[in-house]
Amino acid sequence: MANYSTSQFKNGMKLMLDGNPCSIVNNEIVKPGKGQAFNRVKFKDLITGKSLIKTFKSGESLESADVLELDMQYLYNDGSAWNFMDTESFEQHAIDDSSMDDARGYLVEQDMCTVVLWNNNPISVTPPIHVMLEVVDTDPGLKGDSAGTGGKPAIMNTGVVVQVPLFIGIGEVIKVDTRTNEYAGRS
Amino acid sequence: MIALQKKATLFKKIREFFDVQGLTEVQTPSLLNTPTTDVYIDSIAIATNQEIGQNTCKYLHTSPELEMKKLLSQGSGDIYQICQVFRDNEIGERNFNEFTLLEYYRLDFNIHQLMSDISALLRHLGIYDEVVKMSYAQAFSQFGKIDILNIDFESLKCIALTHDLNIDFEWIEDLQMLLFVHLVEPCLKDLPVCFIYDYPSEQSALARVDGRIAHRFELYLLGVEVGNGYDELQSAKSYQQVFALENTKRQQINKPSFELDLEFLACLEKPLPKCSGVAIGIERLASQLFAT
Repeated sequence: MANYSTSQFKNGMKLMLDGNPCSIVNNEIVKPGKGQAFNRVKFKDLITGKSLIKTFKSGESLESADVLELDMQYLYNDGSAWNFMDTESFEQHAIDDSSMDDARGYLVEQDMCTVVLWNNNPISVTPPIHVMLEVVDTDPGLKGDSAGTGGKPAIMNTGVVVQVPLFIGIGEVIKVDTRTNEYAGRS
Repeated sequence: MIALQKKATLFKKIREFFDVQGLTEVQTPSLLNTPTTDVYIDSIAIATNQEIGQNTCKYLHTSPELEMKKLLSQGSGDIYQICQVFRDNEIGERNFNEFTLLEYYRLDFNIHQLMSDISALLRHLGIYDEVVKMSYAQAFSQFGKIDILNIDFESLKCIALTHDLNIDFEWIEDLQMLLFVHLVEPCLKDLPVCFIYDYPSEQSALARVDGRIAHRFELYLLGVEVGNGYDELQSAKSYQQVFALENTKRQQINKPSFELDLEFLACLEKPLPKCSGVAIGIERLASQLFAT
C-alpha cells in the first residue's frame, strides 16, 4: 500500500495506525515559535470506533489502509452473522456479530446501510439515520397525552429500548433516530 | 463590523496603549544582509540588483528582533513595532509565509512585569478573562505527570514511547516540545489567557539563563500560541554563543548554516540595557480576540 506523509494528510483519509485502520478526523499543524513543526492528528479507529490523538513530527508517514465504504442492503440474520448485499455488484457479505456494536438494534430487513470493508472484510455497519421499528413491549398507553411530557421506555422488535411518549402502544411502528436512540415520530 | 475594520481598530488600540505609556514606535529594515540562524526558522532569500551587475543576496526579516535590539543598545529607550515578517517553509491553518508581528521592549522589566503589562494590553483590547500563569514545570507536572526539569533524555524517550510518540530526536528540547504539544497544549484550550513561563535552559533561545531555567514565557490564548517573550540577553558575547550553537545544530540536521550577523554583534559592543521583550502574532491575536 502507498505511504502518505503528514503534508498529504487530509480529513477522511484512511490510514493504518498500530495495526488498525483509522480515519483522519482532524489534522492540525502546530509549529512552536522556537521549534520544529508537528502534526496533531485526531483519528477514529474504524474497528473500535474510538477516537485517539497522535502527534507526529512533520514529514513522518503512515501506510494507507485498504478501506472501502459501501452502501449495502441488510438482508437477514442467520443466528451468527448479519448478511448484507452490495446493490451494485450483488456480492453478499456476512458480518460477524462482534463487529455490529450498536448497529444491531436498528437493522431492519431491506434497509440501506453503510458498510466499511477493510481488506475486503466488513468491519463496521452504520444504519440509516432514521429507521422504522415496531414496539413489542411497553406500559399501557394513556389517552390525551402528547409528545414531550416525559415518556416511558419501550422495547422494539430489534431489542433496543427507546424512550417513547406515553400514548405509544404495543404494535405501533415508530421512527427512531439511530444517532441518538431517540423517538422521532409515528409512522 | 467587517473584518478589515476590526483589524484596523485593533492596530489603533495597540498604538493607543503604547503611546499613553510613552513607548516610541519604530520602523526597522525588513530586507537584511544576514539570514536568521534560528534552527527551526528559515529566512526567505531574495536575489537583488542583478540587472545593474551588483548581485547581492538579501533576506526578508523573520522578526524585527535584532534590528530593534540595535536601537535599544544605542539608547532608544522603550520601543515597539508593528510589521510584516516573512518565514519560509511555514504553511498551515495558523502558519503563513507572511504575517504581522507586534514586537516591543520595556527597559528594566523582568518577564513577570512584562506579562502584567501584556495582560493590561489584552484588557485594553477587550479581553477581560482571568489570566492564568503557570511555569513550564508546573504545566508538565499537572498535565503530563512529568518532572520536566529533572528528567534525562533517555527517560523522557521512555515516557514518549508510552504515549506512542516518535522518539527519533537529536536533542532533548525537541522531545520536550513534542510532549508539550501532545500533552499540555490540548489542556490549555479552555483557558482564555494563559502564560507559560520559566522554560528549561535547553530552550533558552535569546533569553537569560539561571541554572536550569531560561527566563522566557509564551502567551497562549485558548490553547493557541500567540506570543513569545524573553528577559533579554545583553552582551555581544552571549548572542555570539547562541548564534554559533544554532549554526552547529543547523549543520547537524543538514540545514544550511550562515555567517554570523557581524553588524549586529559590533553594535552590541555597547550592550543591551537590561530589558524584556515580546513578539505577538497579530493575526492569531485577532482570531482569538474576535472569536469570543
